[in-house]
Amino acid sequence: MWLPLLGLILGIALGLLTDIQIPAVYENYLSIAVLAALDTMFGGIRAKLQEVYDDKVFISGFFFNIALAAGLAFLGVHIGVDLYLAAIFAFGVRLFQNIAVIRRILLTKLDERKTKKQEK
Amino acid sequence: MKNNQRNNRPSLFQRKYFIMLIVSIMIGFIIGISYNLTKDNKKLSSRSPIYLQQQETYREELITQQERNKELADELNHLQQTIRKYEKELTSNAEQHEDLVAEAERLRLLLGDIAGQGQGIRLTLADGEYDPNSTNPNDYIVHESHIFKVLTELKIAGAEAITINGQRLKTNSYISCNGPVITIDGKQSPAPFVIEAIGEPDTLVSSLEIPGGVFDQLLNERINVTFEKSNLISMPSNTAES
Repeated sequence: MWLPLLGLILGIALGLLTDIQIPAVYENYLSIAVLAALDTMFGGIRAKLQEVYDDKVFISGFFFNIALAAGLAFLGVHIGVDLYLAAIFAFGVRLFQNIAVIRRILLTKLDERKTKKQEK
Repeated sequence: MKNNQRNNRPSLFQRKYFIMLIVSIMIGFIIGISYNLTKDNKKLSSRSPIYLQQQETYREELITQQERNKELADELNHLQQTIRKYEKELTSNAEQHEDLVAEAERLRLLLGDIAGQGQGIRLTLADGEYDPNSTNPNDYIVHESHIFKVLTELKIAGAEAITINGQRLKTNSYISCNGPVITIDGKQSPAPFVIEAIGEPDTLVSSLEIPGGVFDQLLNERINVTFEKSNLISMPSNTAES
């Protein structure tokens, strides 16, 4: 349980410490990657809580979402339509939905614990 | 089946957690990089106050430079116009100068300041032969009035320089009569008087030879006048002589 959190902290530390310069043209791609990563992360947490978690779905979802978003952004840049907004919109909506689901599940679990304590 | 699952479980567990670790590291990495980038961008961003301030100063500098440029361009135009004016004046002045130089040359020749040479004529005025009938020798010697007549005629005819017995005449020369000799600028000259004049010989001679003119008058007064045209008469300058 603590391993992913450790990995997250390690990754953030690595990202902060490395001084990689990305050209301004690719900043759109980065924003999409961030959103995709967050979406996948919360999606994974939600799946875990709903007990429908699957490794393959999680991993393939992570990479496929990032690839799709990057492809959309690439296409958008080249045909002059801001298609990356679609990816951002989709990811944003899903992010909120996932977080809402997580919140509800956590709330129900908290309630269950309270009732258990009272029963004891 | 259960056994199999139990055997597989630790490895599955480890693999699962390993993948989770890698994915979370990647997520963290991406987030960290984008945070870093935004931080860097903020420094360089056009919205940062330092950047704005710099932009402002640069703009002001540019404006002042442009104004200065404009001023200098105006000045340049102005100066070029002045130069053009000067050049025009210069060309007209050059023409004037040529005229002036020629004029000065002519005037110097007239003044006798410089030595001159050229075509001209040589006149000789000699006293008439002794006439025993005449009681007055003044009737047949050369007087200053005769010389005046000749000189006046010569000058009118365009003589540029005149000498009498080798002495150059200036514009302010004076000639006076002292009996048999005449005094030119304080120097005495005896007869016969050789008058040399530079000018167009034909013109000079024809002007002297006008019927009732100078020659006739001189012959009337019984003075021997001879003249010859010369292609080259050279004259000393009066400054050299005096």
